[in-house]
Amino acid sequence: MSGCVAHRRREREPVVITGTAAVSPLGCDPDGILDRLFAGVSGVRQVDVDKRVQTPAPFAAPVTVIAAPTGVAAGEFAALDRLEQMCLTPLVGALADSGIDQSVGGPRIGLVLGLGAEQLKAWELDFLAGGRTVFEARRTPTLVHRLAARAGITGPALTVAAACASSGYALALARSWIDSGWVDVCVAGGCDVLSPTSIAAFYNLRALSRRADDPAKASRPFDRARDGFVMGEGGGFFVLERRTEAAARGARLRGELAGVGMSSDGVHMVTPSSDPTQAARAITAALADAGVSPAEVDYFNAHAAGTPVGDVAEAAAIRLACGVATDNIPVSSTKSMTGHLVSGAAAFEALACLGAIERQAVPPTVNLDEPDPDCPLLHVPHVARPHPVAVAASNSFGFGGSNLCLVFRRAA
Amino acid sequence: MKPASPPVGCRIAVHALLESPLSELDSLRNRAAPPGGPPLPPRFLRHADEQTVVGMHAVLAALAHHPQPTFVAGHAVVAAPCQSGRLAAARTLAGLPAGGAATVSPHIVPQCSLHSVAGAVSVALGMHGPHIGVGGGPDALAEGLLAAATLVTAGSDPNCTAAWVVATEWAEEPALDATGDALGDPVCRALAILLEPAAAAPDGGEHALSLMLAVRVPTPTASRPRLHQTEGDLVAFARALAMCAEGGALATWTVTCPWGGEIRITGQPRPATGHVQEAA
Repeated sequence: MSGCVAHRRREREPVVITGTAAVSPLGCDPDGILDRLFAGVSGVRQVDVDKRVQTPAPFAAPVTVIAAPTGVAAGEFAALDRLEQMCLTPLVGALADSGIDQSVGGPRIGLVLGLGAEQLKAWELDFLAGGRTVFEARRTPTLVHRLAARAGITGPALTVAAACASSGYALALARSWIDSGWVDVCVAGGCDVLSPTSIAAFYNLRALSRRADDPAKASRPFDRARDGFVMGEGGGFFVLERRTEAAARGARLRGELAGVGMSSDGVHMVTPSSDPTQAARAITAALADAGVSPAEVDYFNAHAAGTPVGDVAEAAAIRLACGVATDNIPVSSTKSMTGHLVSGAAAFEALACLGAIERQAVPPTVNLDEPDPDCPLLHVPHVARPHPVAVAASNSFGFGGSNLCLVFRRAA
Repeated sequence: MKPASPPVGCRIAVHALLESPLSELDSLRNRAAPPGGPPLPPRFLRHADEQTVVGMHAVLAALAHHPQPTFVAGHAVVAAPCQSGRLAAARTLAGLPAGGAATVSPHIVPQCSLHSVAGAVSVALGMHGPHIGVGGGPDALAEGLLAAATLVTAGSDPNCTAAWVVATEWAEEPALDATGDALGDPVCRALAILLEPAAAAPDGGEHALSLMLAVRVPTPTASRPRLHQTEGDLVAFARALAMCAEGGALATWTVTCPWGGEIRITGQPRPATGHVQEAA
């Protein structure tokens, strides 16, 4: 993991991604998700909100079906809460996709779960189902350890939270564990679920779009008429390992996690800083860590959630970090189609970057009818664009001024 | 087991343990930072979770006793709270049936989530290193130390100068009434330690406490790890640090992790005395 600012690149053995799986408003199989993502399909729709909460913005981007993963009985899966279901299916799916050996004496496998408000969600889901857990004086093991046990992961496991950048930090920590030699393989990612009180809290914070009359048009990052984000749910998991070991076992190399950069604004608990310096430092550090110049970046998956302040701040950060090269880097926000997956956003957007590398195309920002002149970037409005993509970068920002940039590269 | 990875060397520049009963938290919430350290922005903690309030003041107490002015802008923060936000969540949920969405505080997500302790420390003190929340449950201390070791291991960045570990918890998890108010007067506590790269230790530094973090990961065996094995004891950890710093003795503190490995911390004091701040 690189530090918070630009520094010289350390020599390290490349860490590659050999397994992916996701659950999302665009479906649950990676190829189908990418098909819809590159076709510009929106997953935003009217949703039924718990009658006890009755938010004035009853639309979101939900996951409609979560299938039980292989090896987990349907009844057992149905008994899990929605958050555990949402995480378990892609976690097991990513392991299966990688073909990794989980037998006794096999590789040491770790798990890093990016999840920002696990307990708030768990207490709420329990309460709305008639439970009283939140009032009881007891401590319960966290989800990551239950997931590890169910998935047969016996190595270190932890939960990391950086608000809306959580699952990106999970990928960053996972790469560091492999670099450190603590594990041979690490599964990382994160998912989030819609909940009535989180919708209400973000609505009351005035962070959500109020375009209730036309939900599919509500998520419009970088557009002049944007008025907030749309909540979504889902996310993804990835299997990471050293390239030499992955290649030796004949694994499919989906891409390299080549660069990580992180920083904090240190300014406000909610609002991103209007000074792009720290966000740009995260981008610069990630590019330096990957050993690429801004001119070598072929695609930027922006954090851009569609908030008036955040999109402008991000555009300024990209421009500050990439300079004149900015004019030639296609930038899009897949949140225009999926809504904001919150803790799971960075993981899903990592999948979008790998998809861009695989398909040699850039997914669009739908609903971008009139780009905001305060967001001067090379946008990809409405339709995907064929484009050679060897290096893709993904920004994630979170409450508390958390800044993260991940750089993915085509695996040689 | 595969060959053990080398331990991560670092030093504890300062540390502080702080405890406060709930009845005194409002006072602590409004208390200014102690002299000798950076100031706290006015009313900064008014919406903060109880564990954030105590964690913040533990950091401030530690900083006030730092032997030298320290460049906090370069610091990272790893916060490891245990069930933070529970009182706010209970109050919110208790009010839902009667009040609906309008009663849900906009502060609950930014101020009462797993990232919030770290975010508050980072924002209040203007830190530009990464800040993350880790754990959230009974294993938070072990997970926080594991994450801190990750940051320190990766710390090749000369501008990211140090990492805070801020572990917080209720001494005993409080029972709540139907409105979400705590029964009795539970005690909230926090341990803040500032980890610096070993190379950063000033020669003959008055407070230097060298520390080696070793992470041991076993190879997979037929036996599954226990789902939850042990709560890393925050107070015992603080006591070990104090013993090492004040008693001039080699101290070892180990937490056995749910995944079957362990995190072992071995402290080797320098001749002079460290500081433990305890505040009611």
